Amino acid sequence: MAVSREGRTPTVAAAREVWPRRRLSWYRFWEGATPYFFVAPVIILICVFIYWPLIYSTYLSFFDWNFVSPTKTYVGWENYTRLIDDPRFARALHGTVIYVLALVPIQVLLPLALALLLWPVRHSRAQSAYRVMLFSPTVIAFSVAAFMWLWIFNPLQGLLNKFLLEGGFERVNWLSDRNTAIWCVIVVSAWKTIGFNLLLYLAALEAVPVDYIEAASLDGANSWQLITSIRWPLITPTFFFVLVTTVISVNDEVFGAINVLTDGGPFESSTNVVYYLYQQGFRFFQIGAASAVSILVFIATILLTWLQFRFVERHVHYG
Amino acid sequence: MASMVTAKPSTGASYGGAVSKILIHVVVLLLCAVTIFPFFWMLSTAFKQPDEVFTASIRWLPTHPTLANFPDAFRYFPVAHWFWNSFFIAAMTTLGKLVISVPAAFAFARLRFRFDKFLFAVVLATMIVPGVVTIVPNYVLVSRLGWINTPWGVIVPSLPHAAFYIFLLRQYIRTLPQELIDAARVDGASTWTMLWQIILPNIKPGIAVVTILSFLSGWNQYLWPLLVLNDLNAKTLAVGMQFFTSNTESAQLWGPMMATATLATLPPLILYALAQKQIISTFVTSGIKG
Repeated sequence: MAVSREGRTPTVAAAREVWPRRRLSWYRFWEGATPYFFVAPVIILICVFIYWPLIYSTYLSFFDWNFVSPTKTYVGWENYTRLIDDPRFARALHGTVIYVLALVPIQVLLPLALALLLWPVRHSRAQSAYRVMLFSPTVIAFSVAAFMWLWIFNPLQGLLNKFLLEGGFERVNWLSDRNTAIWCVIVVSAWKTIGFNLLLYLAALEAVPVDYIEAASLDGANSWQLITSIRWPLITPTFFFVLVTTVISVNDEVFGAINVLTDGGPFESSTNVVYYLYQQGFRFFQIGAASAVSILVFIATILLTWLQFRFVERHVHYG
Repeated sequence: MASMVTAKPSTGASYGGAVSKILIHVVVLLLCAVTIFPFFWMLSTAFKQPDEVFTASIRWLPTHPTLANFPDAFRYFPVAHWFWNSFFIAAMTTLGKLVISVPAAFAFARLRFRFDKFLFAVVLATMIVPGVVTIVPNYVLVSRLGWINTPWGVIVPSLPHAAFYIFLLRQYIRTLPQELIDAARVDGASTWTMLWQIILPNIKPGIAVVTILSFLSGWNQYLWPLLVLNDLNAKTLAVGMQFFTSNTESAQLWGPMMATATLATLPPLILYALAQKQIISTFVTSGIKG
C-alpha cells in the first residue's frame, strides 16, 4: 500500500495529485469494496448455516429418509398429514401450549416487577450483590441447572420429598407423575431464565433521563404515577424486545430441562414440539417427519412474531 | 407497600422512603435466597461424604467436609476432557464471533454501501429463526464434512448466531461522535485503518461484554453438542453430566455429580461476577430497541 511522506494513506483528492490514474482507481476500488469485506463473513455463514437449512428442511419435509440410506423417497405431503394423526404430536402440541402460556408471562412480567422493586435500592451497597445473585442461574448451562434440580426433585433422596416427609406428608414422585412433571420443568426454566430479562429491564430503567423524572415529581407526580406515566412508556421498547425474543426462544430453551429431568414423559406429559422433533429426527431417524415439524415451528414463530408486531408494537414508544 | 406508593421521593429520581426501602431489601433478600438455594444445595452435596448424602433427615451442611467427590468424579468419567472441551469450544466460538461481528457492526453503523439496509435486515432476521429449525440440515452438513465428534462441528455452525452481538456493537459504535470518524477521513485514513485505529480502541467495553456473553452461551450450549459429540471423550461438561444419571449404580453418584456441576458452574459465575457492571452499562448505552 502506498503511503505518503507524512506516513498516512492519502485521501482520494490528495491521491489524485500524487498517484497515477491506475493506482488511484485501485485505491477507490479497495475503499469501495471494504464494507463488503466487512460484512461478507457473517453473511456467508448466515446463508450456509441458517437460511440454506431453512430451504433444505422444506425440501426434506417432502421425502422419506433415514439419514443413512443413499436414496430419499418422495412422499408429497405425507409427513405433514401423518403428524395430524399422530397422538404423540398432539400431546407435544398440548405441552407446547402449556409451556408458552406459563413461561412467557413469567419471563416477561416477573423480571419487570423485580426490576422496579430493585430500582429504589440501586445505590445501596447490597445492590450489586443482589444483581449477582438474581442473575446467577442465567449464566450457567440449562442442563447443569436441570441436574441441580434433579437432585432436589429426586423421589427417594431429594430435598423436596425430605421436606414433605418431615412435615408429615406423603412423598411425591415429582418427575414421574404426569400431573407434576411438566411443572417441574416450568419451575426450573423460570428459575433459569428470569435473570437475563431482569438485566435488560434494569438497563432500560437506568437509561430513563433523570430530568423527566425530576420535572414530573416537581409537578406533584407520586411514585406510582412516575412508574406508569414516565418509566413504563420509556421502557416499552425493551418490554417489546423481551416479549418477542421470549416467545421465539421459550420452546428451544426448555429442551435441556426436558431432556435431563423427564425425557418428555411420563406418557409425553412434559414434552413439547422441539422435543418431539428431536426424538423423531435423532432417535427414530424419521428425517422427513422431523423436517416437517421444523417447518411448522418456523411458520408458527413467524406468525406469532408478526402478530406481536401488528398488535403490540403500536403501544411501544420509541424515544 | 402502600408507603412505597405515597412516600415523597427525596431526590425525585427514586421512589420509596426509608421504611419502604427496608421492606424492599427484605423482599429482595428473600428472592435472592430462593434463587441461590439450589447452588447452596449443590455445594453442600459436593462436599459431603456418601453417608451424609443419603440420610433420612435433612443435613444442611456437611459435618465432615470432604474433597473426595472431585477426584471421584474424575475417576468415573473423563471430566478433565469435558472441561477442556467446554473451554475450547467456548473460547473459539467467542473468538470467531468477534472476528466476524466487529467489522460487520462497524460497516452497518458508519459505512454507506449498496444494500447496506437490506444486508442488515438479513442479519437481524436470523433472530426470528428458532435454532431447532436448522438442526436437521446442519447435522447432515456437519456429518458430510466429517466434523462429527470434533469441536469444529460445534463451533462453526454456531458462529452465525451473532445477530444480537452485531446489533449491540453497532449501537455502541453509533454512540461514538461522528467527528471522530470525519477527522480520520480528513487525515486520509482508509476504512481498514479506521477500524483498527479509531473504532477498536473506542469500543473495548462493548467488546468485553460481547466476549463474555458469547463465552457464556458457548460454554452453556446443550442441544447441538448433544447431537454432534457422541464420543465420551469429545463431550462437553453440559452434555457429559448426563452419564452420572444413566449409570445403573447412579444412586451412589450424587456427590461426584454435584462436584462436577460445581466445576461446570464456577467459570461462568466468576466471569459474570467480575463483569456485571460492564454488561449493564453497555446495555444502557446501546439501548435495546427491538
